[in-house]
Amino acid sequence: MRVRVRSKRRDKALMDAVTYVLLSLFSLIILLPILWMIRFSFTTKFIAYSIPPVWFFKPILENYRSLFADYGFLNFFVNSIVVSVCSTIIAVPVAFLAAYSFNRFRTGGRSVQFGVLALQMLPPIVLSLPIFMLMKSLNVLNTRGALIASYLSFNLPFLVWMLMGFVEGIPRELEEAGVIDGASRFQCVTRIVFPLAAPGVMASGILSFILCWNEFLFALILMAEKKSTIPIVLAAMQTERGVMLGTLAAATVFAVIPMLVLSIAIQKYLVRGLTFGALK
Amino acid sequence: MSLRRDELKFGWSILSPSLVIIVAIIIYPLLFSLVASFTTYGFLHPFFNEFIGFENYKTIFQDKYFWNAIYVIFKFVFFVVCLEFLLGFGVALLLNRKIKAKGLFYTILTIPMVMAPVAVALIWRVFLHPELGIMNYILSALRLAPVNWLGSGKIAFWSVIMVDIWQQVSFMILVLLAGLVSLPSEPFEAASIDGATSIQGFFYITLPLMKPVIVVALLIRVIFGFRTFDLVYILTRGGPGVSTDVISYYIYRRTFMGLSVSESSAASYILLAVTMVVVVFLYRAMRMQREV
Repeated sequence: MRVRVRSKRRDKALMDAVTYVLLSLFSLIILLPILWMIRFSFTTKFIAYSIPPVWFFKPILENYRSLFADYGFLNFFVNSIVVSVCSTIIAVPVAFLAAYSFNRFRTGGRSVQFGVLALQMLPPIVLSLPIFMLMKSLNVLNTRGALIASYLSFNLPFLVWMLMGFVEGIPRELEEAGVIDGASRFQCVTRIVFPLAAPGVMASGILSFILCWNEFLFALILMAEKKSTIPIVLAAMQTERGVMLGTLAAATVFAVIPMLVLSIAIQKYLVRGLTFGALK
Repeated sequence: MSLRRDELKFGWSILSPSLVIIVAIIIYPLLFSLVASFTTYGFLHPFFNEFIGFENYKTIFQDKYFWNAIYVIFKFVFFVVCLEFLLGFGVALLLNRKIKAKGLFYTILTIPMVMAPVAVALIWRVFLHPELGIMNYILSALRLAPVNWLGSGKIAFWSVIMVDIWQQVSFMILVLLAGLVSLPSEPFEAASIDGATSIQGFFYITLPLMKPVIVVALLIRVIFGFRTFDLVYILTRGGPGVSTDVISYYIYRRTFMGLSVSESSAASYILLAVTMVVVVFLYRAMRMQREV
């Protein structure tokens, strides 16, 4: 008996070791490419391209300088921020009211619930073509407004779906108490439910900002290259002749790092958002 | 009774801003494509006056590149979803053990998911460069022959799959891990008292109990797999030849290089129909999962 217990303990120790090794390996496979790209952004072209890799070098900031001075990156950076922020700020309150309505009054019933899910899952290529024609006929191609509006097409269904879950978690009794105290129905939503749901709303808003920031297809179709967002300038830099690896890496760092920081800030809600409401 | 009606009226009134936006930005454009798919609408002929029935659909069905795109996307979705599921389940099982630094592993996992697919594709494109990329350097250090990752018709498809797995496997891990964490412990205890091995426990307890979560995870990945565009745009542009010409890229190509709006609309409606079939299954699975 004692032997068996001991061997079981040894098995467990072995399994633990295997677990740590495999998970560390997995983490390295995820982290190394990102770290390697960050490294590129601090190297000269010569070091970036040298094979075998040079391990020790003096980091330079030239790539970042060039990115802003020669590529006008600030312009794209500002575009990305303006478009993502505006689209999110429009979508959040609108989606919150819709989510509240669905949850409390079952407006439209199950078919609406299905509709929200279906809209969220719509392939963007299906929408991008007619939205392009629509924007063209309105003569608003190459404007930030057009991009902001088109981003609502995925932002709004995503936010409604996410926020439905958060509204559900807020007890109805509080609103009923509010009504008895003489608040209007709308005041109950804005003054009682919304503040209580604020952390979830904030996290959902950040996720929708990330979705906009990373969006590629609409920006590709609706905007001229010079007026577009960061993903478009990344794609454009890549196809240029004699691509400047260091500068490209610096641009990639700018595209990626802010999102990592944001995602860590909302860690608690991140999984729910990233799995598109698949989880409760 | 009238109170109830007031409530409903209020419900619809606060819903109306969303409805207006959805009609303007989604429903109207979708109807536009639907109508266009039955006419000769085009960039050079932007009118709906010539109704031609199913001609555009017929043209699409006779296009061998359309069938290639369908073949490529189904093959792509099949392999990424299966491989991500197997790998993801493995990692989720590891993460479900009592280990230290779980939070750290967890944070690392979420990193690829918040990265722009364009950025991911660019990073890998640099690594997969045949002469200057780190991947071939690693191969040569291991005394293996270099691989033409993105330039060879046979290999490029698998390279795109590899990059997709790198970015998306975390989705599977997160969903499956959440499912594993919420499993009840009693069945496992009972089974171990009855002398079941952990492998038996996995196949006879874990898998059946996890089925609803697994179905939802697979279906969501199938739907998002069908969308794949950014990766292909950056990594291969559908090439070499048409070996990675996924359906979204095919439609994009046809629209903006072939300039045939009506035919592209027909093709996009076919994609839409396929996606919606999967969404119906997903909706059912999600409702079942919530009732359980």
